[in-house]
Amino acid sequence: MFAFQMADIMPALPEIFLAGIALVLVLVAAYGGETPRSARRVTRIAMGGILITLALVVNGDPLASRAFGGMFSADSFAIYMKVLVLLGTFAALGMSLRSDGDSDINKPEYSLLVLLALVGMMLMISADNLMALYMGVELQSLPLYVVAAMRTNSLRSSEAGLKYFLLGALSSGMLLYGASLVYGVAGTTDFAGIAEAISGRDMPTVFIIGMVFMISGLAFKVSAAPFHMWTPDVYEGSPTLVTALFAIAPKVAAISLLLRLSYGAFGSIADQWQQVLIALSVGSMVIGALGAIMQTDIKRMMAYSSIAHMGYALAGLAAGTVAGVTGVMIYMTGYVFMGAGTFAIILLMRRDGAEATRITDLQGLSRTHPLLALGLLVMMFSMAGIPPLAGFFGKWYVFLAAVEAGLVPLAVIGVVMSVIGAFYYLRIIRLMYFEDTDSPLDSKIPMANRVVLGASLAVILLFFAGIAGLLAAADSAAVALIVLG
Amino acid sequence: MIEALFFYLFAAVMLGAGLMVVVSRNPVFSVLFLILAFFNAAGLFVLIGAEFIAMLLVVVYVGAVAVLFLFVVMMLDINFAEMRAGFQKYLPIGLVVGGILVFELVAAMYGDAFSGATLPAASEISNTRALGNVLYTKYMYLFQVAGLILLVAMIGAISLTMRRRSGVRRQVIAEQNMRRREDSVEIVDVPVGASARTVATVPPGKRER
Amino acid sequence: MDLIMNSYVIELAWIVGKIMLVVGPLLIAVAYLTLAERRVIGFMQLRKGPNVVGPFGMFQPFADALKLMAKETILPAGANKVVFMFAPMLTFILALVAWAVIPFGEGLVIADINVGILYLFAISSLGVYGVIMAGWASNSKYAFLGALRSAAQMVSYEVSMGLVIINVLICVGSLNLTAIVEAQRGMWFALPLLPMFIVFFISTLAETNRAPFDLPEGESELVAGYFVEYSSMSFALFFLGEYANMILMSGMTTVLFLGGWLPPFDIWPLNIVPGPLWFILKVMLLLFVFLWVRATTPRYRYDQLMRLGWKIFLPFSLIWVVLTSGFLLWTDNLPAVMAG
Repeated sequence: MFAFQMADIMPALPEIFLAGIALVLVLVAAYGGETPRSARRVTRIAMGGILITLALVVNGDPLASRAFGGMFSADSFAIYMKVLVLLGTFAALGMSLRSDGDSDINKPEYSLLVLLALVGMMLMISADNLMALYMGVELQSLPLYVVAAMRTNSLRSSEAGLKYFLLGALSSGMLLYGASLVYGVAGTTDFAGIAEAISGRDMPTVFIIGMVFMISGLAFKVSAAPFHMWTPDVYEGSPTLVTALFAIAPKVAAISLLLRLSYGAFGSIADQWQQVLIALSVGSMVIGALGAIMQTDIKRMMAYSSIAHMGYALAGLAAGTVAGVTGVMIYMTGYVFMGAGTFAIILLMRRDGAEATRITDLQGLSRTHPLLALGLLVMMFSMAGIPPLAGFFGKWYVFLAAVEAGLVPLAVIGVVMSVIGAFYYLRIIRLMYFEDTDSPLDSKIPMANRVVLGASLAVILLFFAGIAGLLAAADSAAVALIVLG
Repeated sequence: MIEALFFYLFAAVMLGAGLMVVVSRNPVFSVLFLILAFFNAAGLFVLIGAEFIAMLLVVVYVGAVAVLFLFVVMMLDINFAEMRAGFQKYLPIGLVVGGILVFELVAAMYGDAFSGATLPAASEISNTRALGNVLYTKYMYLFQVAGLILLVAMIGAISLTMRRRSGVRRQVIAEQNMRRREDSVEIVDVPVGASARTVATVPPGKRER
Repeated sequence: MDLIMNSYVIELAWIVGKIMLVVGPLLIAVAYLTLAERRVIGFMQLRKGPNVVGPFGMFQPFADALKLMAKETILPAGANKVVFMFAPMLTFILALVAWAVIPFGEGLVIADINVGILYLFAISSLGVYGVIMAGWASNSKYAFLGALRSAAQMVSYEVSMGLVIINVLICVGSLNLTAIVEAQRGMWFALPLLPMFIVFFISTLAETNRAPFDLPEGESELVAGYFVEYSSMSFALFFLGEYANMILMSGMTTVLFLGGWLPPFDIWPLNIVPGPLWFILKVMLLLFVFLWVRATTPRYRYDQLMRLGWKIFLPFSLIWVVLTSGFLLWTDNLPAVMAG
């Protein structure tokens, strides 16, 4: 008979704790009523829970990292990525804590669902088994579909939720179909077992097809082209708070899962998935850069920008080396803070209390809100990859890894697209500094946004100072992922 | 021999029903054919000795999920002709995608690709017990996460659809139980010959409850 | 080859024979249940009930059947004919096939399958299709309203029924109905699981659309609910199905809680009475309660019905599952198969 030891469960303690908090919050939300006050209380408890979870994650022992019979792995790679996800979600939740927030997102269920999605993301990062992978993906996706449609009186929000749901369901289907083919060939759902089953064996086509299906399904989740179609509509239609969350956290989880899957399970046939990832990467970089130029809505622009960012990250993944993984991790670190900082400002784009998210609404920001304009300037420069900001280091290490792995054309395309991408980031700066406006945005800046913006700015500006430490951490995590399995 | 006969019977009916789900003009028929397909799938499960899964399929999918499907489809006021207008247009791409999937499955089956998969040995104990033995031990993690997913689905459905409507009278049992005689009954001494209305002293607001 | 064919034929004939042995008496029981209902309720309301056709009105059901058969089957103009005719047949068939797994005595069962209780549960959960198809195919608003009510009601009460069944299963450690009865040799489950027994019985009332949960028929507001458009034999099939379902549910309750064919106490005058007789007696007792409830309780309002199912029965039976399993674990009384 199978019996559990404490050691089998302990590595998952942070997740168990967070899920427990979520269950408690269900009751708090149910009995607290639907008032904004109750919503804020739920959010505060959720944020406290996230902080404690963060402490638990950091204190986790990366050496004794396997739980639940190897389905769950909390190695140092997982710890690194989980810290990112937790911080990102913490920031996104914090920004919903504003007393004058739009009333329809002020539901207690919002924070609750976000918390459950966070559990899903953490499970995705730790998934070391095809079944655990699917469960994590579903637990992450389902709450996000709901929060996208949370503004029930808005047609666009409902449309966003529905679109996200339909395409997400399709991608889950692809993921499952691929997983079933992979399982059929390998005869096991364990990543380690799959790696063992396929090493040194002539791979049947069916296995490759299954693998491509799985990667495509996950590409949906990271919104890599050509599976990006949902991103602009969902980003635009969802409540901005939700968009901020989408832009910050879930992609980190999806990229981690993609990393673990391709290196953990399919590590020995890297040459097969490299082609797929290169195609995804090039497509995302091109579509992200070119698509963003035409946009007039800043949320849509951010959607294309995130597609492009995913393209750059995938370039590092495609390298198939330890340096590549390190590059992706550095890139995602910068990505989280850039996303949080930028959305801290986008959330403030209100005129007379109503959202004003057209790019032209930023005109003359340098005169009405000089500090905000400066903050956005830094964010845009960082996204464009101007040294010595965070975005630069991310791109640098990713492209370096690609070049080292012999993917010179990929790196060249990446650099070219970065230059094109810089155009629309700089356009925002031009609007803010060289145009004038007669209808300024609201001037109230809630505390939470200040804190998030300040923290993100600090990280981005001081990235160069801590890069050595980050590199060391990422490097050991990458080694843990690839070499130690 | 009889087993083979039943296999082909179930499989054929299931495929036919599956086809009808897609092509029948009326969505209600589609759901009814879907139920038929579920049934035959359950039959197939029985044939391979997985009677527990078979019954679960009937209880959960046919007995609950499909009922709600039917419920929704019957209530919706859909213009069937309009809904089917796009069918011709999407048929080719649907056929192509379906064809690819079928081809892959066939290739997988007839190649020796799946030889690596080892079929778990049929155990001595009944499959209900076998399932129970691993579900809450080996697969406890997945089981619990599945529970969380279902919880999310429940919370999501409620938070998206529930809204308090004004003007709806609800029964509050606690309020009814709290009601005391003094709140609603007043003893009025009606003088002989006077009508009750002229001496009513209950204020109009209080009479409502 | 010949030998094989012969053995198949014999086996088939034996099975058909067994089925006939169950279905024949069952149909007669259904006929007399309708009479019993009218007589019992009559007495409760200080009337006589039908007492003219034959001695004590014994031939009344047959007269009714003859009358129904002689009438014309009316197909409403807007009805969906296939589904309209299929619905009553489905109801009737489902009410009959469930009997395949009910044990009348030791070894007296058509199919002694492993997952008997699940089979019963599955079949009873299908009953809703007959109702919902009838309501939809009739193309009549009364019928449709009745069908929707019924669908929601039956799905709701199935949930708590399922949880009650889990309670019993935890005590038995098997899904086999014979094993469930055998496990009650010491004590019927109705005693230790008394609250669950009550919840289960009330749920069966809702599951069979009987008073006080007969909203799907709701004659005062929906004329006759889902079968308002039916006449003649198609109506008779619904009628037979409903009563056969009552008997089935009583049988299920008997097996789960009242010790099936076992005598109340294993002592001399009681244990020489044959098992099937005990079974029939217990079923009759439960059926009497069905009628008794109908004669004495007013109909529930719809929101009350839903509240009872979802907010009271469901949490209550769920808590009881935890209590039962906790108690068995604590006292080390778990069935051997589960303790391992």
